Amino acid sequence: MGNPRVVLARRTLGSLRSEKTIVLALVIQLFIAGFSSFLVVGLVSLYDPGTANGDALTVSVGVTGNASSDVAATIADDDSRSVVPYPSQAAASAAFQRGDVQALVHATRQPGGRILAAATAPEGSFRTTLVVTELKGALSTLERERRADLDHRLERTPVDLPPDERSNPYFSFTYTVLLPLLAFLPAFISGSVMADSMAEELERDTLSLLRVAPLSLPEIVDGKAIALVGLAPAQVALWLLLLWLNGTHIANPLALLALVAGVAAVLVATGAALALRVGARREAQLLYSFVALAVFGVASLLPQSPQNLIARLAVDSPTTLTWGLLGVALTVAAASYTGLRWLAGGAET
Amino acid sequence: MKAGNVLRIARWETTRSATSLDRETAIAFVVVAVALAAIVPAVVTTGPTPGEGIYRIGVDDDSPYADVAASDPQLAAVQPGSDADVTVSPVGIQYADTAKGRAALSTLRSATVAYNDAVMADEPDQAAAFPVVVSLTYRPQSIDVTSAQADTDGAGSSTTGGDGGRTDTPSTDDGATGTSPTAGASGGGLSGLLGQAQSGTPSSISPPFPLQSLVFAFAFLLPLNIVIQAYGSSVLAERIDRRGEPLLVAPVSRGDIVAGKTLPYFAGAIALVSVIAAATGAGVLAVLAVAPLAALFLAATFLGAMFARSYKELTFVTVAVSVALTTYAFVPAVFAEVNQIAAISPLTVVVDSITDSGVSTGQFVLSTAPPGLAAFVLFGLGTGVYREEDMFTQLPIPSKLLDALAAPLATPRRAGVWTALFLPFVLVAELFAVALLFVAPVSLSIPVLLGAIAVIEEVAKSIHVFAAFERGQYRRSFRTALAVGAASGVGFFVAEKALLVTQLVGLPGLDIGRAAFAPALRGASPGLLLVAPLVWHVVTAAISAVGAARSRLAYVGALAAAIGVHLAYNIAVVVIALG
Repeated sequence: MGNPRVVLARRTLGSLRSEKTIVLALVIQLFIAGFSSFLVVGLVSLYDPGTANGDALTVSVGVTGNASSDVAATIADDDSRSVVPYPSQAAASAAFQRGDVQALVHATRQPGGRILAAATAPEGSFRTTLVVTELKGALSTLERERRADLDHRLERTPVDLPPDERSNPYFSFTYTVLLPLLAFLPAFISGSVMADSMAEELERDTLSLLRVAPLSLPEIVDGKAIALVGLAPAQVALWLLLLWLNGTHIANPLALLALVAGVAAVLVATGAALALRVGARREAQLLYSFVALAVFGVASLLPQSPQNLIARLAVDSPTTLTWGLLGVALTVAAASYTGLRWLAGGAET
Repeated sequence: MKAGNVLRIARWETTRSATSLDRETAIAFVVVAVALAAIVPAVVTTGPTPGEGIYRIGVDDDSPYADVAASDPQLAAVQPGSDADVTVSPVGIQYADTAKGRAALSTLRSATVAYNDAVMADEPDQAAAFPVVVSLTYRPQSIDVTSAQADTDGAGSSTTGGDGGRTDTPSTDDGATGTSPTAGASGGGLSGLLGQAQSGTPSSISPPFPLQSLVFAFAFLLPLNIVIQAYGSSVLAERIDRRGEPLLVAPVSRGDIVAGKTLPYFAGAIALVSVIAAATGAGVLAVLAVAPLAALFLAATFLGAMFARSYKELTFVTVAVSVALTTYAFVPAVFAEVNQIAAISPLTVVVDSITDSGVSTGQFVLSTAPPGLAAFVLFGLGTGVYREEDMFTQLPIPSKLLDALAAPLATPRRAGVWTALFLPFVLVAELFAVALLFVAPVSLSIPVLLGAIAVIEEVAKSIHVFAAFERGQYRRSFRTALAVGAASGVGFFVAEKALLVTQLVGLPGLDIGRAAFAPALRGASPGLLLVAPLVWHVVTAAISAVGAARSRLAYVGALAAAIGVHLAYNIAVVVIALG
């Protein structure tokens, strides 16, 4: 017979396995991650269609007005746009109605040198977003060129734009949204399951059975907590491995897992403490959800929020403060766990 | 069911919850609520940026780019020479040739644009600082590529509000037919909500955000999670230590108990939804549309709590229920005002209610009836196992599910009745399949959809029959199997006529919708049209029933055979119907 805590930890994991709940948990996480990625890939392909599928769609723009030559030049300098000049607004409007062009720009030059561009985009179509994005790009280029021409009238010169290099539009999303989501979801679920597990022992009155075993209440808490705190980084390690196989470079994996374990320890201690104090699952579970929300809310007021810590560590831009906050998180984890054991020891007598 | 009993139990459930709350817990709730109320505004005002400082820009302090880097929170200025992702030097801008380096460069570029605009705003000569002024308006295009097919059967709809929409593939586009559906997969535009005219500098123009309904989905559905958490706990608590026994032996029916226990939570959910509706400017119609969905949340949680063996299991069941139902409500609603497919989701009614676009009766029925009926049936199944032998025993979920399915099947005729009752699920599952598949090219989506429909319908016709044989409700004989199978097939056929409601909203206007719901044979006599599906449902249901009567393995084999027959029939019909 080994350490009773390890035996209890193994039993807790065993019950999760036999109820197949751990499989369900992984499926739910995969579903949420897949779903949010689906949304972002979709969004990006709307705003920046060239990235989603190699061949870019072409937006044809009908151009009219006395400044149409300036506008036409900037619209045409990108492959994803083409220009159709029209002699009159009426002709352009009719072509737009027929669907020959997807957008209209009526450009007129003002006395002060300003160009007024009255743009028209299709309403309520899948392509509205794309059309507006392309129009915006063309007119921004025009704005830069005009500013350069009117340089003599400006006191300060605009800063030159850095070169335009194709970059992965999902890069920031992967590190700042997807990864933190995958890192904190398991920790949150672990805390929730801990609250369930303790509340159930209390409601079914099986704690006394365990204590005849003979196990003290802190030992029982230890056994359950070892299993659940350990489970969170194990799941995150799995996601990191999947991301790595998918070609996403993850820096500082050990520091990431330590942070997840720390957050899981705080949440598990919270869940267990609430279940021990409240005794009933319904109230404990509700309080746990609210407290966990509050904890994340307070933590996001820190100079580097938990989400930001994960992003900085994974993308390899940690500062001294990042490492300091990681240390703080682990200290808080140790403190909350000690607090829980103290509470459990007090409840025993 | 007696209203008096229901109300008495509802009152008992409410007061019990209030009194079981000891003072310490109540204070804790208040403290946490106050803390949350204080934290939320603080978080909103500081607006935490998760991407803060993830890109390092190596730049000297006197370079203009130092100010640019300081203006964007994602960028952190470091001394050049240290491990920067992008280095600005007098000779030019170098970047690390990695994914991170390129992302950093692109962020620096957009930060420069924003920085320049901020600098230019201080210039005295504004005409030179902002030499281009844009005014953007949205106008409908009258072309409609798909209408040529859709309107021929007279089912075209004017219900979606706005311009009635599908102006996605103008014919001038080279190769657009292949690529446009992919772009469509990503979302639609809520023009009514966001198609306001804008004017200003080019960088101030923002393209419409196409996923506004996501915000509504979360605003309306997330609070329901709190309700189902509490509800699931309450139901499962009845099953612990036989606590529910006194109520079971009391002179009230099971239906009264379940209805009474559910009523306070349903009322709470509606109250929450009403508050959100008032806050978002949605009308009564929005609340009415979300109510069946709230009932479905509760019904699925109720069944989950009847099956779960422990609170842990219940937690996962609850999360799975809310994820699945949120997706059901959300995915079709993405296409609100762009495609009729959006009519499936109750959230579309919510969006229409906010934008005052008007909702037709057919659309309202289509979006609310399936979840409402599904909730009703789930409560029925759960109530069937709300009895001593199921509540207080620990069995794996599949085995409990068989119990629940078998419980109501006392006579062969009941099999038909329950097949008919399963139709809402068939409808929900098929609508969801349509919603997922309609963006794929027709050559792929229709065969996959037909396969999915065959599986869904055959399982719905036979799963409870199988459960009844397994639980000994029916004698395992060939004749019983035929009788039960025939009853199930007839039940399905009769209930399927309810699907006619889909015609009201013009869903068959979509090619894929028509393949799913209206595979009418051209040129066939009306008598044949009526008799053929009846015969076919009875035959396939009988095949799987005969298998179910024999053994588990035989059931799986017979089910596969029934699906095969069903699929062959469907393909034949669609091939003839679509030419």
